Order: sequence, then C-alpha cells, then structure tokens
Amino acid sequence: MDQVSLSLGPGEVLAVIGENGAGKSTLMKILAGVQTADAGEIRIDGQRCHFESTREAMDHGIVLIHQELNLCDNLNIGQNIFLGREPRTAGIINRREINRRSTGFLEQVGLDVAPTTVVGSLTIGKQQMVEIAKALSVNARVLIMDEPTSSLSARESEALFRLIGQLRSQGVSIIYISHRLAEVKRLADRVVVLRDGKNAGELVGDQIQHDAMVQRMVGRDVSQFYTRQRHPTGDVVFKAEKIRTVEWPQHELSFEIRAGEIVGLAGLVGAGRTEMLQSLFGVTPLVAGQCWLEGEPVQLNSPSQAIDQGICLVPEDRKQHGLITDFSVANNIGLPNLKPNQRGPGFSNFSKQRQSSLEMCDLLDIKTPSIGQLVKFLSGGNQQKVVIGKWLAQDPKILLLDEPTRGIDIGAKEQIYKLMEQLASRSMAILFASSEMEEILGLADRVIVLHEGQITGVLDHQQLSEQAVMQLATGTATDHSMKA
Amino acid sequence: MSENLTGLVKIIGISILLVLLWAFLAYQVPENFLKPNNIENLLRRTALFGILGIGVSFVIISSGIDLSIGSLVCFIACLLALFLSVSYNPYVSTDVLEIKAADKKLIVNPDANFSPGQTVRYYGGRRARNAMLTITAIQPTEYEGRQASEILVDQALTRDDKTDSGNRSVGKIAAMYPISAVSGDHLNIPFGQLTPRDRVWFVHPERGLKEKTVAAVEPTGSTPGLNRVTFTESLDGIDATYIAIPLARKQKMSVPVAILSVLLIALGLGMIHGVLITKLKQQPFVVTLCGLLIYRGLSRWLSNDQTLGFGNEFEGSLGLLATGRLVLWDSGGSSFGIPYSFFFLLLLTVAAIIFLNFTIWGRYILALGRNEEAARYSGVNTGRMTILAYILCAVLTGIGGILFALDANSIAPSSFGNFFELYAIAAAVLGGCSLRGGEGSIIGVVVGTALMQTLYNSIVLLKIPDELEYAIIGAVILIGVTSDEVIRMIASRIKRE
Repeated sequence: MDQVSLSLGPGEVLAVIGENGAGKSTLMKILAGVQTADAGEIRIDGQRCHFESTREAMDHGIVLIHQELNLCDNLNIGQNIFLGREPRTAGIINRREINRRSTGFLEQVGLDVAPTTVVGSLTIGKQQMVEIAKALSVNARVLIMDEPTSSLSARESEALFRLIGQLRSQGVSIIYISHRLAEVKRLADRVVVLRDGKNAGELVGDQIQHDAMVQRMVGRDVSQFYTRQRHPTGDVVFKAEKIRTVEWPQHELSFEIRAGEIVGLAGLVGAGRTEMLQSLFGVTPLVAGQCWLEGEPVQLNSPSQAIDQGICLVPEDRKQHGLITDFSVANNIGLPNLKPNQRGPGFSNFSKQRQSSLEMCDLLDIKTPSIGQLVKFLSGGNQQKVVIGKWLAQDPKILLLDEPTRGIDIGAKEQIYKLMEQLASRSMAILFASSEMEEILGLADRVIVLHEGQITGVLDHQQLSEQAVMQLATGTATDHSMKA
Repeated sequence: MSENLTGLVKIIGISILLVLLWAFLAYQVPENFLKPNNIENLLRRTALFGILGIGVSFVIISSGIDLSIGSLVCFIACLLALFLSVSYNPYVSTDVLEIKAADKKLIVNPDANFSPGQTVRYYGGRRARNAMLTITAIQPTEYEGRQASEILVDQALTRDDKTDSGNRSVGKIAAMYPISAVSGDHLNIPFGQLTPRDRVWFVHPERGLKEKTVAAVEPTGSTPGLNRVTFTESLDGIDATYIAIPLARKQKMSVPVAILSVLLIALGLGMIHGVLITKLKQQPFVVTLCGLLIYRGLSRWLSNDQTLGFGNEFEGSLGLLATGRLVLWDSGGSSFGIPYSFFFLLLLTVAAIIFLNFTIWGRYILALGRNEEAARYSGVNTGRMTILAYILCAVLTGIGGILFALDANSIAPSSFGNFFELYAIAAAVLGGCSLRGGEGSIIGVVVGTALMQTLYNSIVLLKIPDELEYAIIGAVILIGVTSDEVIRMIASRIKRE
C-alpha cells in the first residue's frame, strides 16, 4: 500500500471499494490495529494515535468486524459480548450483570433474542448482529465492516442495512467494504476507491454511480504487461456440462476448453473460482453434472482419479496443498510420478525421479542448490515452479492453475506466463483462475467470469476489456456475450 | 539441510547413547552384564519389542497412533493358545446316559463300539466311583425316546445316576487293553491305531493312573493286531498288571492354519482401525483406545480369565521360534547363541526399511504424514495408505504376539501385554519418530528398542529398586526426546551471537 489517505466524519457511511488486492484489507487492518503502517499517521478528533494492537484501536473506539466472524460458537451471546472484559464481583463472573447489559446492546441492534442463547444456534445474520452489539459494548465510534453481506441472505442483508442507517443516526461512523456495488450505491455517503494500493478517486452523493465506480476501480495501463504469442486453438478437449459444486449447488456451470487454449477464470473473491477448480480436480466431487475429456465421460471423485485421466491442478495454497515443504525438490516433483514410473511391483524408480527432477529444474529454471534441497528453503517463485514441475512430468491433457502467480516476484511471474504459453502451443489445454486483472487480460484466449458461483459471461479475446470483466464479475451487467 | 540428515543425526545420537550405556554396564557389572545368558535375553527382548516398535512406527509416521498394541498382543496370544489347544481322549469311549447300579446296567449312546467280554473303565461320573468293568452283554434299548445301548457289566457301580438338563452325561466308559512284554520304554498292546505323540493311560485297580507319551509304534509281526509301542520315557513301575487306555491326540488346528488365522485376524482388526479412522473420520487415539479395551475384554472372556499356554506340546517345533537359538559358541558349562527371534527382527527390519524407503507406498505414507492434504493433491490415495499403515501395524503386532506367547508359554489374559503399546511408542519416539508424523526411521526404532531394553536390564543388574523402573525409563525417554530440541536451540543461539 502506498500513501493512502482517508477521512471519516461522524455518522458517515464511507464505502471503500477496489479490485482484489487493491489494498482495502491492508488499510482496514492498519486502522483496526491488526497491522501497523510503515509510514503515515492516524488522527482521531485531531489527536495523533498509534495502535499496536486491536485492543488499543478498540480503546479509541475503532472496531473491525471481520468477514469471517470472530465469535465463540459454544458460548452464549452475553459471554461473547463481554469475552475478556467480563464484569466481576470478587473475581467471579457476574452473569446477571452480563445479561442485563447485553440485553441493552441487543435491543440497540434490534436483535430480539435472549442474551443466554448459544451463539452457534443463531443464523449467520444474527451472529453478525451480535458482533455489532459487541462493538457497541466497547463504545465503538467507528465500525469497519469487511464484506458484511457476503454470507447473508437478502432479508438478513436488509436488516443489516436498516441497522447501519440507525447507527449512522446515532452518530456512529461506518467504513463499509464491499464488492457489491449496488449495496455501496444504496448505503454510502461517500466512496473511496483504491487501486494498486493507492487512492484512485473519491465519489460523493450523486456521483456514486455504478459506471463511475467501475471506471475508477480499473483504468490501468495494460500495454506494459507481458505480451504473449497467440496460437490457433484445436478441438474441444474438456467439456463441463451442467456441473454443480458443493459450494454453490444452486448454479449449473457449463463450459468447454480447447486444445492449446488458455482460458482465464475471473471473478471477485468468493465468486467460486477455487471451488470450481477443486471440483474439476476431484478434491470436492461435483454434486451433479458431467465432465468430458476428449469426448469420453470422466469420473472426478478424487485427485488421484483426476490425475490418472490427465487433469492436474496447481492449487492456490502452495504450502498447504501444493507441496510437502519438508520434502526435497526431487521428492516433491517425484511424488505424483511414483506410480507411473514404478519399477517392478511398487518399487520407486529413483534414477528416473532424479532424472526428471533435473529436467524440470532445467526446463523451469528452478533455482535450487540441489534437487535434494528441502522445498521450504526455496523462494515462492521457485516453489511454484516445483508445483508445476510435478505435473509437467505427467504431460497432462488439461492443466488447472489457481492463482499461479500469487506471492511470487515479477521475474518468476513472467517465466510462468511464458511457460503457460509454451504448454498451450504444445496443445495442452489450460484453465487458470486469477485475481490479477492484467493476467486475465494479457494471457487468456477466452475468459469465463464467475459471480457468486454463477457464470455471468464468457468473453473471447476481442471482447476482452477490464470494464467488461468487472461488470460481469460484480454481477451488474447482463450477459451480453456468447455462452460457452 | 537435506531431508535425511536430521534423521541420521538422531540415529547416531541415540546409538552413541546405547553404546555408552553398554560400556558403562560392561565396566560396572561385567560378570553379570556380559554373561551369555544375559546377552541372549537382551537380544530376545529387543527382538520381540522391536517388532512391535516397527509396527507402530508405520502408524506414527502416517501421523496416527495405535494404543491397542498391548491388548492385541494378548488377544493374538490367547487365540493362538486356543487354536493350538491339544486334548487327549480315549480312542474308544462313549458317554454314559444312565447308571442302574443294582441291575449292573449302563445305558450309553448307541454309537458305542464295544463288544461283550471287553474290559472298560468307567470314569468321570458325578456320583458313581471310577471302576473297571467287564462287559457281559450289549442290547439295543431306548432312552428318553431315542435309540441307545444297554450294557450289562460284571459288577455294580456305587450309585445310580441319570442325565438331566444340566448334564448330558453321567460319566464315560473307555475301552481298555491288556499290555505285555513291558521292558524299558516299550511294551506290546493289541491296539492298532496309536501314533506317535498320542498318550496312554495305565490304570491299575489299586495303584491309580499313570500317563505316558508315545514315541513310536510298529507291528510285532508275531501276532496280528499286536503292536510294539515305544514311549518317550521309561515305563518304570508299570507292569503287565496295568491295563492301558490309548488316548488320541487332538490338536484344534494345525500349526500353519492357526498361525495364518491369527495373522489374518490381526490384519482384519488393523483394517477396521484404518477404516474407522479414514472413512468414518474417527480420531486414531479414540479408535485404538477402544481397541485396547475391547481386545483385553475379549481375551479374558475367550479364556475364561484362565492362564493359557502350550504346555510342552510345541517344545521341539513351533516353540523354537521363540526359545531356540543359533549356538555360536559352546564350552560345555556355558554357551552363547543368537535367539531365533532376533533373526526375525533382522528380517522384518530389512523388509520394513525396503518398504518405507524403496517402495512407492512407503513414500506415500511418509508424504501423507508430513502433509496429508498436499499428498492427496498429488494423487496419493491417502485413505487407502492410512489403512495400510494400520494393517501393517496390526500384522506386525500379530507376529509379535505369536512370539511373545511362545516365549512366555503362560498367558494371563488380564495382564499379558500390558503397557506394550507404550513401550513400542516410546521406542519409536526415542528412535526419531515424530508424533506429528512424516518423520522416522526403522533403524532408529530398533536402536530405540535396544536402548529401552538395556535400560530395563541395567535396572535389574545395578540392583536399582525395581519400583523405580517406570520412573527411570520415563525420565530417560523424556531426556532423549527433548535433548535434540535443546541442542538445536542452543546451536541457533550460538549462531545468532
């Protein structure tokens, strides 16, 4: 984040918007004392403040309500509200006092539930109300809400909006972060747009219009980005027909990928990209629908099944899913290839493993002192190359990549782009999800845009523009493109 | 640092500790520690516990735990003893259904293969005393609505008796045969079915009963049907006035079938553990804790809580696996040999090393122990591999159970194998297995077991009060497992300064 400024008046609802990775979360974490800023200052009523912890921020009346709620499911509402600050008489928790005071805060947020109700039994919407009641209990003057409606139903969201209106009239200021531009338009008094960690404009009152917001969120110079060679694509290799994932079972997804084609999967955080890729890889099997590989129906009930059929995934979470970080480079690259390379019944072929690891280090330019080096000592970019190397030895028919360049440096990024392009030119089909708009625009032959688990559109290379993708991704544009 | 180096350092460390302990004992109590008998014992105990340690290390490497080992050892031992139980029953005998003392009549089952003039022994009754009888006549009759035989004998039994709901028989009669030409360890008997390892009761009206084991049988040639029987011991005190009852040896199962059965049962139990853990998502600790309780209870129930054993039935055969040794040196008074069970350990160690390090399944188990999710994302069927780890553990426990049973030859179902799981886990941890999973070496486990057994041995030899046994072993394990972390912390502090 680079020199972001922000002001907030009493009783004001300020929306902060921006693309994935624009710096919204970082900014909020700094305001709430989760992180500290390298430079700059925070002033409250003109007083300079410095927060080392969320506790200090809270003492100044700033409370962050996380996207993932921070409540203890097993405790009741009152216990949650006063967790860590329990009123005590002679060292013993005074339950009656907790309940009496909690009832007041619950009334304030309009939640008609006894304070002795166990939090786990409440709906997500009501739990959020409890979070807000908890914030009020520390006399919050500024409430920061990070994607508060992401897991709420329409009616619950409606209740939240009413509460926000009410809090505003009580003089509580609210910083509201959301991808849902319609909500922003409805709630916000003022909108601050962030882009690439910088302020990218501010909209007040009537200026808060959908197009104006999108325009300020995008608008980057794409020409500087890596430019790739385009190749004609071949026949359809992979086809998904009316598939439904566990995460979004209400939406059917259908699309196809051709040989040599690089298809981008765009969408905002939580749009269901990772879930879709994991389902195609058999991690969380599909609940309905059928996939076809080279015209043959395929069963995708486990990763090993997917791999056997030539579908490989470079997962989003490298350290958790992609690598065994305490294993060497050779053993990581070798792991999925042990079975195909086995010598005799079940015996590992170490010479083959060594050979293919060396080949991969060479091909992918993996910088490691030796193939015996533990992967945890490699840089992020080299680790990612090891993950890709695992699969290249298999020569998959379709390679799925989930955020392939997350957390790696520019040089390694370019190498990965070049590699994807080379693989496509050898007629491998590639489907990659990315939150970086420039990757989507610069790399993909075609882009599938997801919004809340639904394909809102498919854009081919000619139709591709940041504006078009953002409109589909925010779910505000109607589908003006061809269906897959 | 390469991935094998840390493990290697651990093994070297613990090996040095072991050698130091040996040197200390050899210096301190040389005559006791270096006694061939003591070394043999140490090797045997290391072998038996080492097999359990190797088994549990597979489970620990897969980041699980198995607490059921001790109970499973006991369960397998009890099953083996029951499967190999041997009984001796008269070749020609039948149940008596009713005794009519005054009439000199016995009602017996109709399948009885007796004939008039034959001498029989009545025994095992509730009321009537044992007696030798001569059959005078046999005729068919009916007893409580079914076919039976009525036997008339030459003398009256002491009391009347009759079967009832509690007792299906009121004693037995068994055919008796006269013996002749008794000398040394052999005699002649007019009975053709005896085979080696059968037994014979020698009954005398006044002098009571003696039991001898048959060594060999051959026809005399002179009289048809007359056989010359040689016994395993001399027939001192037995003469022609005794009458013989030949007993058939019956073993419930043959040795290979019994061993295969118990190993298959162990395999099945391991599979159940694995399935409960992977498919039904139960915690390994809980599943195997329940196993610990269940197998112990089943053992006590199957054996009626009676101590089981093999007697001397398998002394020269199966029992050698546990008690036999390869004699390396024999100087009349003392001798030294390597116990056969130690060769078992070597064999299993080599097999386990090959499995863990050179097969794809071993690599899969290591991988899933380190990071189960990443292993799954790499195409490893993590569920199946976890089940495999529990099966390997249970089968090795089964092998260990067989050897422990043969070695002890006395299996008290309520205490046999108690704490063995903890010894095995402790040895694995000492040997470098991490309970977090993914780390461990077979050699380390074997060295760890040897260290534990040497410790145990030294407590005995150094005359440390044996009440302190557990305290000392516990303390040494604790020092062993924390030392490398402490060394690492000190090393990194030195590096920083």
